[in-house]
Amino acid sequence: MISLRHIHKRFGAVTALDDVSLDIGTGEILALVGENGAGKSTLMNVLYGLYQADSGEVLVKGQPVRLRSPRDAIAQGIGMVHQHFMLVPTLTVAENVVLGREPSRWGRMDMDRACQEVAATCERFGFKLDPRARVDTLSVGSQQKVEIVKALHRGAQVLILDEPTAVLTPQESDDLFRVARGLAAGGRTVVFISHKLREVLSVAERVAVMRRGRLVAEVRAANTRPEELAALMVGESRVPQAEAQAYHPPGGEKLLEAKDLRARGEDGRPALQGVSLEVHAGEIVGIAGVDGNGQRELAEVLTGLRTLDGGGGTLLGAPLTGLTPAEARRRGVGHVPEDRLWRAVVKAMTVEENVALGRQTQAPFARGLQVDFAGRRERTAALLKAYDVRPPDPEVPLQALSGGNQQKVVVARELDAGPKLLVVVQPTRGLDIGAVAQVQAKLREARDKGAGVVLVSLDLEEVLALADRVYVFFEGRITGTFTRPEFDEREIGRRMLGTRGEVAHG
Amino acid sequence: MGERLRAVLPSVFSVLLALAVCWVFIALTRDAETATGAYLQMLRGGLGDWPQYFEGGRLAVLTRPLGEAAIKAALLLLTGLSVTVAFKVGLFNIGAQGQMLVGALAAAVAGAQLQLPAVLHIPVAVLAACVAGGLWALIAAALKLSRGVHEVISTIMLNWVAVSLVDNWLSVGPLRAGAGTHLSTTGTAEIAASAQLPRLLGEMSRLHLGFPLALAVALAIWVWLSRLRSGFETRAVGLGAEAARAAGIPVVRRTAQAMGLAGALAGMAGAVLVLGTEYRYPGGLGAPYGFDGIAISLIGGNHPLGVALSALFFGALRAGGTRMQLLGVHKSYPELIQGLALLFVAGRMVWLSLLRPRKVAPMAPTRQPEASPEVPRA
Repeated sequence: MISLRHIHKRFGAVTALDDVSLDIGTGEILALVGENGAGKSTLMNVLYGLYQADSGEVLVKGQPVRLRSPRDAIAQGIGMVHQHFMLVPTLTVAENVVLGREPSRWGRMDMDRACQEVAATCERFGFKLDPRARVDTLSVGSQQKVEIVKALHRGAQVLILDEPTAVLTPQESDDLFRVARGLAAGGRTVVFISHKLREVLSVAERVAVMRRGRLVAEVRAANTRPEELAALMVGESRVPQAEAQAYHPPGGEKLLEAKDLRARGEDGRPALQGVSLEVHAGEIVGIAGVDGNGQRELAEVLTGLRTLDGGGGTLLGAPLTGLTPAEARRRGVGHVPEDRLWRAVVKAMTVEENVALGRQTQAPFARGLQVDFAGRRERTAALLKAYDVRPPDPEVPLQALSGGNQQKVVVARELDAGPKLLVVVQPTRGLDIGAVAQVQAKLREARDKGAGVVLVSLDLEEVLALADRVYVFFEGRITGTFTRPEFDEREIGRRMLGTRGEVAHG
Repeated sequence: MGERLRAVLPSVFSVLLALAVCWVFIALTRDAETATGAYLQMLRGGLGDWPQYFEGGRLAVLTRPLGEAAIKAALLLLTGLSVTVAFKVGLFNIGAQGQMLVGALAAAVAGAQLQLPAVLHIPVAVLAACVAGGLWALIAAALKLSRGVHEVISTIMLNWVAVSLVDNWLSVGPLRAGAGTHLSTTGTAEIAASAQLPRLLGEMSRLHLGFPLALAVALAIWVWLSRLRSGFETRAVGLGAEAARAAGIPVVRRTAQAMGLAGALAGMAGAVLVLGTEYRYPGGLGAPYGFDGIAISLIGGNHPLGVALSALFFGALRAGGTRMQLLGVHKSYPELIQGLALLFVAGRMVWLSLLRPRKVAPMAPTRQPEASPEVPRA
C-alpha cells in the first residue's frame, strides 16, 4: 500500500538514510529494527512528514505523494505514535483524541458528541478506555492506547509505533501486541520500530533491518532466529552476549552498610520501609523488583538526592544520614540515574560541558577558579573515543546525540571519575545490543577493578546476568537475598511479587 | 555558516525589520521624505552630527550626541545585564525597574549624606546602590527558593512596592530635600561633588565614568559566565536544575547568587543615573529602564557581549530620537523600534526556519540521525 523509493536523507555531514526502498503492505505487521542511529526513526519521520527526504519518493496506493507535514501524512491515512507521548495531561481522553478537530455546536465544543465519537472508535477497535477520564490519571500503557485511538480516530490506515514497548510492563506489551494483531486482522497496517528482537519476532510478520542508514535485509519472522537478526543489525557474525561469569565472593572492604533505611517517595508515601543491606568492594549487587517498590528511592538515598526519614548506616567511611549530592561525589559515589535527560545531563550544553558536570571543580576540568578548556577538551575527546560515541565531537550540544550515545557519555563520565561505589539505575534501557553489551562490560570492568556496584534494573535478565548478589525489593522492603550461583529465577520472581514473612536470609 | 553567526542573525534581522516597519509607519502618516529625514536626524542625534562637523562645526557636535548615546547605553546595558544574569540561572527578572529604583535612592542618600573623598565616595555610593538592588532582588529569590513563588509574579509586585516606598513616600517624605521646611521640592537632596561620576570629556560632552564602568561590567559578566567554574555551574542550574543538583552543584546558592547579582546590576544602573546625570534622586526614574532591560537582553541574545551591542545600538537610537522632533516626528519612535525588534526576536523560531535552506543540509554540522527535531538553544 505504501512504497518508499530510494529515500536519501542527510543531516549535515551525517548520512541518515542512504537509498532506502521499502514496501509496506496492507494488513501486515512490519517491524523495523536496527541499532540506535541506524535510521529507523528517521525513515518513519520521513513517512510521517516530520522530515523531508533529500531525494526519493513516497507512493501511497501507487500515487506519488508529497508529505510536508504530519498533516499531509494524516490526510494520507498515516498515523504515528511517538515514544514520548504527545498528549495534554490535564485534558480527558476524548478531548485529547478530538484535539484539533473538535465537534462543535454553536461555536462551542460539543463534549457529549466528542465522548460518543471517541467511545465509538474505542469500541470499534476493541479498546477499553473511559473517554471522560483525565489522561494524567491513566497508566502509561493506557496513555499509549489513547495515542493509538487518536491516530485511528483520524482515519489512520497505517500506524507507526516508535519503540512502543520501551515504556511498557510485560503485561502491557502483551496487550499492545494483541491490539496490533487485531488491527492487522481488520485490514490496517502496523509498523513497529524496535530493537527488542524477541518481541519483534513474536509479533511481526515481516522484519526490515536497518544498519547505518541502509536497509540491509528483509526477512520473514516465522523462519528467523533472534541471533540471526542481531547479526544483521550489528553487521558482524559474532554477537556480543552477556556471557556467564564466575562467582565473585563478597570479600572486599565493606563500602556500604545501611540499616533500616526509611524514606518517602516523590508522592509523599513511604517508599523505603526499613531496608538493610551491604555492599562490598568488588561486587555487583543487583536490586530486583517490579517498578515502584522502593528501588528508585534507594538509589536516591545512596547518592544524596533524597533525605532519610529514619535509619542510617555507613557509606564509604562516614554516616549515611545528611548526605548531599556533593558529599556523595566527594566520597566517591558515582551515579547513572534512570532519567537521563532530567537528572544526568543538561541537554542544551555541549558534550564536553556535560562530561565536566559533577567534576566541574576538579582537574582536568578546572584550574583554580577557572574552567580548564584545554584539559576538558582533551579528556572528553579521549572518553568519546574509548566509548565509541558517535559523533566523537566534544563541541556539539548533547541533545544532538542519539539516546544510546548520550547514555554512553553518562557512563563514560561516571566511570572516569573512578568511583568507589557506583549506583546505576536502568543503565541499558532503550539501548541497542551493541551499546548494552558495552555498558555491561564497563560495569563488570569497574567491579573487577574493585568498585562496588549497585545495579537497579527492572530487567531481571540483566540483574541475573550481572549481579553477584541480588536483593529483591517489594513494597519498600527486602523480601529475599540471593547469592550467585544460587540464583533461582522462579523464586526471585515470587519474592518480587511479595511473599513476605518467608524472608529467608535478608 | 558558523554557529555563532547563526545565533546573531535573528537579532540583526529583527532590528532591521523593526527599522523598516517604523519607517513605513512614518512614511504612511507623513511621507517617505520625512521618514528618511527623521531617520537621518536620529542618526545625527545618536552618532554625532558629522555633516555639520565637516562643514566646520566644533568637535562638540560629535561628542555631545555620542555622549548622550553612551549615557543612555550605560543604563540600558546594566539593566539588560541584570535580566541576562537572571536568565542564565533560569529566572525571568521582570523586577529590574524596582531594583534600579531602590538602587538609585541608595546612591542618592549615600551621595548626599556621606562626607568622603571622591576615590572613596563614588565606590561607596555605587556599592550602596548594588547592595540595595541586590537585596531587593533577593526577596524574590528567597520567596522562590523557600516557598516556590514564581519570580515573575514576585518581581512585578516588588516593582510596585518599590514605587510606593520610594516615589510615593521616601522621596516626597522623610528623604525629601529640605524635609521639615516649607520648601515644596520633590526628590532628595543634591549629592556631594565628591560623589559625582567624573565627566570624561569636560565641557564637550556629558559622557561620564558610568559608561566605561558599564562596559567593564559587561566584560566581567562575560568572563564569569564563560570562563569561570561558578559561571559554568550557574548556567548548568539554569539549563537543567535537577542534573545540576545531582552533579553536586549548590543549586540554591547559585540561584540566590545570580539573582542577587542581577539585582545589584540593576541597582548599579540606578547609581549611574543618580551619580552620573541627575545628581539627586528626582522622585522617579524618568524612563522604564528596567523594562527596557528585558528587551535589550533578549535582542542581545542573552549574551553579555550581545547585550552590550544591543544597548549601544538602542542607546544611540534613544539619544537620537529627540532630534526627530525637528521634523515633527514624535521622539518615542526609537522605543517603538525597540519594542518591535523584541517582538521579532521572540519570533526567533520563524527566523530560524526561514534561514534553513530548503533542500540541502541544515546548519548543525554534525547531527546524529535519530536526534529529536530541531530545538534551538535557549
